[in-house]
Amino acid sequence: MGWEETEVRGYPEFVRTAQRYHGRPIFALFCGDKDAEGRSWCPDCVTAEPVVRKELHNLPDESVFIYCLVGDRAYWKDPNNEFRRNLKLTGVPTLLKYGTPQKLVEEECFKAELVRMLFTED
Amino acid sequence: SVQARKEDKPQKAMEVNGLTPVPHSYDYDLIVIGGGSGGLAAAKEAAKYEKKVMVLDFVVPTPLGGSWGLGGTCVNVGCIPKKLMHQAALLGQALQDSRKFGWQFTEEVKHNWMTMTESVQNYIGSLNWGYRVALRDNKVTYENAYGEFVGPHTIKATNKKGVEKLYTAERFLIATGERPRYLGIPGDKEYCISSDDLFSLPYCPGKTLVVGASYVALECAGFLAGLGLDVTVMVRSILLRGFDQDMANKIGEYMKEHGVNFIREFVPIKVEQVEEGTPGRLKVTAKSTTGNQIIEEEYNTVLLAIGRDPCTRKIGLDKVGVNINEKTGKIPVNDEEQTNVPYIYAVGDILQDKLELTPVAIQAGRLLVRRLYAGATRKCDYVNVPTTVFTPLEYGACGYSEETAVEKFGEENIEVYHSHFWPLEWTVPSRDNNKCYAKIICNIPDNERVIGFHVLGPNAGEVTQGFAAAMKCGMTKEQLDSTVGIHPVCAEV
Repeated sequence: MGWEETEVRGYPEFVRTAQRYHGRPIFALFCGDKDAEGRSWCPDCVTAEPVVRKELHNLPDESVFIYCLVGDRAYWKDPNNEFRRNLKLTGVPTLLKYGTPQKLVEEECFKAELVRMLFTED
Repeated sequence: SVQARKEDKPQKAMEVNGLTPVPHSYDYDLIVIGGGSGGLAAAKEAAKYEKKVMVLDFVVPTPLGGSWGLGGTCVNVGCIPKKLMHQAALLGQALQDSRKFGWQFTEEVKHNWMTMTESVQNYIGSLNWGYRVALRDNKVTYENAYGEFVGPHTIKATNKKGVEKLYTAERFLIATGERPRYLGIPGDKEYCISSDDLFSLPYCPGKTLVVGASYVALECAGFLAGLGLDVTVMVRSILLRGFDQDMANKIGEYMKEHGVNFIREFVPIKVEQVEEGTPGRLKVTAKSTTGNQIIEEEYNTVLLAIGRDPCTRKIGLDKVGVNINEKTGKIPVNDEEQTNVPYIYAVGDILQDKLELTPVAIQAGRLLVRRLYAGATRKCDYVNVPTTVFTPLEYGACGYSEETAVEKFGEENIEVYHSHFWPLEWTVPSRDNNKCYAKIICNIPDNERVIGFHVLGPNAGEVTQGFAAAMKCGMTKEQLDSTVGIHPVCAEV
């Protein structure tokens, strides 16, 4: 069946989408919002996204890749935002395997080797 | 005894091919067998010097089928989950104390085993992942495969699907650690658990019998009782063999007064299942070590903590000629962690006559690698290594026990200074006023140098660490006396 991608914005939509795909391996990339020209306020996210996208073909069959825009910079800086509180995210970009402690944070997302390891290994 | 350092020639082995010798190149500079505290520290250090390193880590499932990820005993089924569960028990005590300090809550406080275990396992999972990221980032090859020697410089790695691969390396580091020992009685492997199973047990253990008197046995019994479970410890002879017996007895007394039952001088001879379940019911039959008396009792869980055996018997050491102590399985090494085979080294719990502690393995691993690849000369210092036993009343120690000091220096040359103390935090909730205790052992002819430090009380580990550094500097009694205390803390005593 291969893998599929879906894009969401904000915490409630993320949760709904993750629940919808319950039972399949779910990988999620969290990035800062993009402006009208498609550029994110988060410079590390701008660097990480192409690296992650280049490795997507390694995703296991049946898995889902959720590309999640977390919000604007002000929302992200709030230490009580739902992503920080509920998903325990500490920074953007974060790339994680949902439901496991496996994740890559910030500069770790720049490294193709690590992204590949997250996607392909147990 | 210390073996002389063997020549470990760093050149590649030569293979004669017709007339000209051709240099034989190995797959790796270093293969580390065992991804625990010692193995990972050494692997990461070697990668820093741009060496080509592989780590092989494989957990042979427990008799009940349990397994875990990269990181070794400490991370998965040792120090880390132990301390977290010890903390869970301490928090239970703190909740009780809090009422005396004015906190009011009407509900009875209960403990949920599954909540605690899930949190602990989640944290361990993040550590497993962290190690894999660290290895990959440092370009260390990691394989989840069982490594064994098949010939000189050659190892066979078998993964859980049974796929075998051969690898060669210039040097090897054995860091395979240990696993819990079983009793060898009917029902032990079928029905009993060990520390390997306890920290991920998917149900509350209930009424538990802990067999053993090691620090593992007492720490586990301690936190299980602290979480509100009915706990009994069955001891064959003495508590905490190898530790200061004065302190060991005080620990036992405290545990007894705080709800842990002890059955002394008995050993189990049979474990039978009365009822299946999670937990089930088990009947344990035990025999006295001093007579013919037999006792029987039912428990939900039987936890064996009678010792640990090195994983050295099934890794092909005979194929490469590495000597082991046939009786104990431990590997004798010289003071540079080198086995009798010059290109094979060993660190950690498997070493003969060395301390079985994570920081020791890490230190030994790192220093060894620096000597091999960075021209360093410093060897691991195994003297005055501080330790802490996380029983309900924590015990921190560094240096000689009273018995060993008397044996080595003679009773007339030893002075022991001691004191009971009552932590200020214990006064208000009316906790024991005569249980916490500290003693130092001094060598009179050597300027009354402090050669042994022992403390029994809260946060013993934190207290002991500083004193260990002072002892390493050769602190004398006079220097200790002239150090002004911090008030009000336990450590000022």
